[in-house]
Amino acid sequence: MDYVISILGPLLGGTLVTLKMFVITMALAVPAGLMLALARISHFKVLSGLVNIYIWLMRGTPLMLQMLFIYFALPFVPVIGVRLPDFPAAVVAFALNYAAYFAEIFRAGIQSIDRGQYEGAKVLGLTYSQTMRRIILPQMIRRILPPVSNETITLVKDTSLIYVLAMNDLLRAARGIVQRDFTTSPFIVAAAFYLIMTLILTWGFSRLEKRYAVFDE
Amino acid sequence: MKKTTALLAMLVTTGIILAGCGKKEETAAPASAPAADTPVSKIVIGLDDNFPPMGFRDDKNELVGFDIDLAREAAKRLGAEVEFKPIDWNAKEAELNGKRVDALWNGLTITEERKANIAFTSAYLANRQIIVVTAKSPIKTKADLAGKVVGVQDGSSAVDAVGKDQATAKSIKELKKFGDNVTALMDLSAGRLDALVVDEVVGRYYTSKKPGEYVVLDENFGTEDYGVGVRKDDTVLLGKIESTLADMKKDGTAAKISTKWFGHDIVK
Repeated sequence: MDYVISILGPLLGGTLVTLKMFVITMALAVPAGLMLALARISHFKVLSGLVNIYIWLMRGTPLMLQMLFIYFALPFVPVIGVRLPDFPAAVVAFALNYAAYFAEIFRAGIQSIDRGQYEGAKVLGLTYSQTMRRIILPQMIRRILPPVSNETITLVKDTSLIYVLAMNDLLRAARGIVQRDFTTSPFIVAAAFYLIMTLILTWGFSRLEKRYAVFDE
Repeated sequence: MKKTTALLAMLVTTGIILAGCGKKEETAAPASAPAADTPVSKIVIGLDDNFPPMGFRDDKNELVGFDIDLAREAAKRLGAEVEFKPIDWNAKEAELNGKRVDALWNGLTITEERKANIAFTSAYLANRQIIVVTAKSPIKTKADLAGKVVGVQDGSSAVDAVGKDQATAKSIKELKKFGDNVTALMDLSAGRLDALVVDEVVGRYYTSKKPGEYVVLDENFGTEDYGVGVRKDDTVLLGKIESTLADMKKDGTAAKISTKWFGHDIVK
């Protein structure tokens, strides 16, 4: 027990890095995903085509490759060549990647709403953007909460990929202690940390689902 | 880990090809070669922060280790600020040549292959590549390794050391490359691995943590030297570290740091 307490400091430090990655990625990827979803269902063919290609690229290549590309190869690309420090590079990769997945979830949610509601809104004299904001999106949110919570929980665990840029997230911090002390117990403590984080998220999402259930009545 | 290396190589190559004509402008910039007496104000040192006892984190999450102490002292003498940046050891050349770090100072073995991309100082530590087996293993000599699975840390000089000994390299069943030495030692205990080839300073650190569990064979895969690595065009920094290290060896500071970490003076 004394040993567990002695390793809590570095593991909490790692948890902080994990949470920072998670929160910033969510804050960027959710709005970006919504924009992408709306662009993808737009009747403007060029726009929806471009978004299609973007989603194909982001879902079609490993997140780790995208991160390594942004960190190591991007500085050598002419014109857009930027040398990002490790944390921003990881955030950019995660946000771009997760936005693509969220976009598809949002699109599914929007398209699951009955066509009749658009017609009804039109009869009431609402514009397209009013229909989206007041009628379609609130109903969409309830329907997409389960898949969004899936992605969110996956994101918490995916952040451990940043070890390839040698950032000390929760898992890498635990590995560091394993290497120093030559014992595997830090892994168990790290697992408990991850479980606590995902438990809080699971609970939060089930509360959200209850709140949005009113739209069904 | 091997996949990561291949990916990296591919990415960097793509980047360089993409860079194409953009490169001409870049080479024009550092034309004003700095004079030898230019002061170095800050050194960013790249290291594997999970590499005890050379560089690792203590209970308070502070970076400590033999190389950390040595580098701190050298920077102090140069009047330079020192920053330690943890890097993925497989990507050390990319980190160095991408100018994210200025020096690699973390039990870096001087090898002919690495000299193509890295400029080294003179050796500051001699180190053997030892063979570690479990206490109840029947393996007693190098010849016993025939038909066995031998582990190494991927990207470490143990890979080259084993490769150089062609007779042994051919006789073994498989050279298994691990992300780090600890997972290799755990695999050794689990019986999936028969022997591990590792830097002596690192191997002794671990075997002393679990007395009685491991045995170090009398034979080894040769002696190697640790040096500090910098970019090939960074002759100013190379010269400064070289002369400072020489001073530290002469006045006994290096020996003192060695005694602190290894119990005796093994500085070269």
